[in-house]
Amino acid sequence: MISLVHYLTVAAILFIIGVYGVLTKRNIVTILMSIELMLNAVNINLVAFSRFIQPEVLTGQVFSIFTITVAASEVAVGLALLFRVYHDYDTVHIDKLNRMRW
Amino acid sequence: MNITLLTSEIAIICLSLLIIILDLLLPRFETRRSLGYLAAAGVAGVFAYTCTQYGVSATVYQGLFTLDSFALFFKQIFLLAILLTLLFSFDYVEGLAKYQGEFYALLLLAVAGMMIMASANDLLTVFIGTELMTVTFYILVGYQFNSSKSSEAGMKYMILGSVSSAVLLYGVSWVYGCTGSIVFEQIAKHANTSLGMLFGFGLIVAGLFFKMALIPFHMWAPEIYEGAPTPITAMLSMGSKVAGLAVLLRMVFIAFVPMQAYWGGIVSIIAAITMIGGTVIAMWQTNIKRMMAYSSITQAGYMIVGLLSADASGIKSVLFYAMLYMFANVGVFATIIAVKKHHGSNEIKDFSGLAQQSPLLAVVMTVSLLSMAGIPPMAGFAGKLYVFSTVIEKGYLWLGLLGFVMSMISVYYYLNVTKVIYMNEPCVQKEFIVSQPLRIAALISLLATLWIGIYPGPLAELANTAARSLSIL
Amino acid sequence: MLHDYANIGMLLVIALLFPFLALGASYIIQPRRPGVEKSMPYECGVDTVGTTWVQFRISYFLYALIFVVFDVETIFLYLWAIKFQQLGLAAFIEMFVFMMVLVIGLGYAWNKGGLEWK
Repeated sequence: MISLVHYLTVAAILFIIGVYGVLTKRNIVTILMSIELMLNAVNINLVAFSRFIQPEVLTGQVFSIFTITVAASEVAVGLALLFRVYHDYDTVHIDKLNRMRW
Repeated sequence: MNITLLTSEIAIICLSLLIIILDLLLPRFETRRSLGYLAAAGVAGVFAYTCTQYGVSATVYQGLFTLDSFALFFKQIFLLAILLTLLFSFDYVEGLAKYQGEFYALLLLAVAGMMIMASANDLLTVFIGTELMTVTFYILVGYQFNSSKSSEAGMKYMILGSVSSAVLLYGVSWVYGCTGSIVFEQIAKHANTSLGMLFGFGLIVAGLFFKMALIPFHMWAPEIYEGAPTPITAMLSMGSKVAGLAVLLRMVFIAFVPMQAYWGGIVSIIAAITMIGGTVIAMWQTNIKRMMAYSSITQAGYMIVGLLSADASGIKSVLFYAMLYMFANVGVFATIIAVKKHHGSNEIKDFSGLAQQSPLLAVVMTVSLLSMAGIPPMAGFAGKLYVFSTVIEKGYLWLGLLGFVMSMISVYYYLNVTKVIYMNEPCVQKEFIVSQPLRIAALISLLATLWIGIYPGPLAELANTAARSLSIL
Repeated sequence: MLHDYANIGMLLVIALLFPFLALGASYIIQPRRPGVEKSMPYECGVDTVGTTWVQFRISYFLYALIFVVFDVETIFLYLWAIKFQQLGLAAFIEMFVFMMVLVIGLGYAWNKGGLEWK
C-alpha cells in the first residue's frame, strides 16, 4: 500500500531536482521549468498531507489550488520578462545578463 | 462575517482597477499625471480612514484575516510610504515612454499585497499577500523600457523571488503536515519541536529573510536596486522589507512560540553578520543606489535585533524603527530622483554642489542620512536607542555594542555623501529644477524625521499600543 | 474495488480497438483511384510557400500568455460551482466580483491589442 512517506519522498526528490536545475542550468526557460518543479513538489506535499492527516478537512487541497493559480501568474510574468530580456540581449542565457557590476 | 474590516484593502484595489479603466479611456498621447494625483488622493483618503480604526481587534473569514492595532500600524507605514513615493515620482513617471497609467495601478496593487501581509493570520493569506506584492514588483522592476539594466534586474528578481517563494511554500507544507492547520492560533496549539516542524519553520524563515534581504539571503538586493526604476527601489527598500518584518513578527510571536528557544541564537548571528557585512560593503560603493541597497540591508539588520527580546517592548522598538526608517528613506530617494533628473546618472559624485543648487534637498538628504546613521537629534537616534536598550536588557550586550560600533562606522560613508554635497563645486552649471510635489514629499520627510527625533513620545506611545495588541503578550 | 478496475480495463480495450477497427475497415473497403491532384499534400486549399518550419510570431506568444492566466483562474469557478447550492447569495456576489476583475483584465488586454492575430 502506498503510504504518506512515499508521497513525501517523491515530493522531496522533485524539489531537489528543481533546486538542482535552478542552480546548474543556464537557460532561463529551463530555470523557469525547474521552479515549476519545486512548486509542484509543494503541491504533492500539501495534497498528501491533507489526504493522510485529516481526510475530512480539505485545507491542504485548497491551498494547492491557490498555489497552482499563483504559479501560473508567476510564469506568465516570467515569460513576459524573458521576452524583454531576449529583445535587449539577444539571448536567453543567464550568464550573459551581466551589464551591472557585481 | 464582518467584511468592513477589509475596507482599506478593497478601497486600494478598487482604486487600482479604476486607474486601469481610466487609463484606457484617456486619449492615447495625453499625460497620465492626473491618474497619479487620483492615486495620491485615494491613498490619502484610505490613510485618513485607517486612523479611525485604532482599537479594533477582530477577525474575518474564520480567523484567516485579522485587523488589530499591530496590523494598522504597519498599514499606515505602507500607505505613508506609497503616498510620499507617489508625490516624488510624478516627474519620473512622466519620463517613461509608455504605460504610465499602469505604473500607478501596479504600485497600488503592490501596496494592497503588503497590507494583506500585515493582516495575515494564516499561512495561506501570508502566501497570497506575499505573491501579490512580489509578482507586481517583478513587473515594476523591469518597467524602464529603454534600459537593458532594468529588464535584467527584473528577470533576476523574478528567478530569485520565485525560488524563495517555492522554498517558503515547501516550508509551509511541512508545517501544515506537522500541525494539521495553517491558522496561526491552531499551529500554536499543536506546535511541537519535531524534526519536520523545525525544517518547515526554517524554510519559512529563510523565505522571509530573503524578502527582507538579510545577509546570507541578500545577493539579489544590490543589482536589483540599481537596475530598478528609482521609485520602485524606494518602495522595495521600504515596503518589501517592512512587510516581511510584519509577517515575521506575527508568525514568530503567535504561531511558533515553542521555536523561540532555537530562534535567539540564529537571529542574533544573522543580525550580527548583516550589520557588519552591510556596513563594510557599503563603504566601497560609488553608485548611490547600490550604497542605499547595502545601507538598507544594514537597517534590516538593526530591525531584526528587536525580534530577540520577545516581549512588547522589543516589538515596540521594531515598529518605531520601521516608521522612522520609512521617513528617512523617502527623503533620500526624493533627492536621488531630483539629482538623477538633473544629471542623468546615479553616481555619488553627481551630488557635488547640491547645497548651492538646491539648499532644501541638501538639508533633506543630510538629515535623512544622519537619521539612518543614528546621530541625535534625528529620529534614528531614538530608534536605535529603543532597539538596543531592549536587547541589552535581555542579555545580548555584545550585540548592542556591535550595533553601536557599526552605527559609528556607517557615519563614515553617510558623511561621505554629505561632504560631496557641501564641499564640492557643482560640475554642471544649469538650473536645478525641483517640482512642487517632490518638494512637499521631501519637506514632510524632513519634518517627520526631526519631530520624531526631538519628541519621540507620541509615536512611541502609538507603537506601544500596536505592540500590545499582538494578543499573546 | 477490483470490479471497478475491470470496467475501466474493458473501456480501455474497447477505446484502443475502436479506431483500429474503424480505420482498418475503411482501408479494406475503400476504392483506390490515385491522381496528381489527389496525391498532393493538401487536397484542397493552396500549397505552402517556403519552408514550413517557421518560428511562432510574438503575437501568438502574447495570446498564449493571456490564455494561460485566464485558463487557470477558472479553477476557482469549478470549486464554487460544485458547492453553489449551499453557498448561496454571498458567494454568488463574491464570484461576480471576481469575474468582474477578470473582465477588466480581459478588456485591458483587448484594448491594448493583446488579442489581435497580426
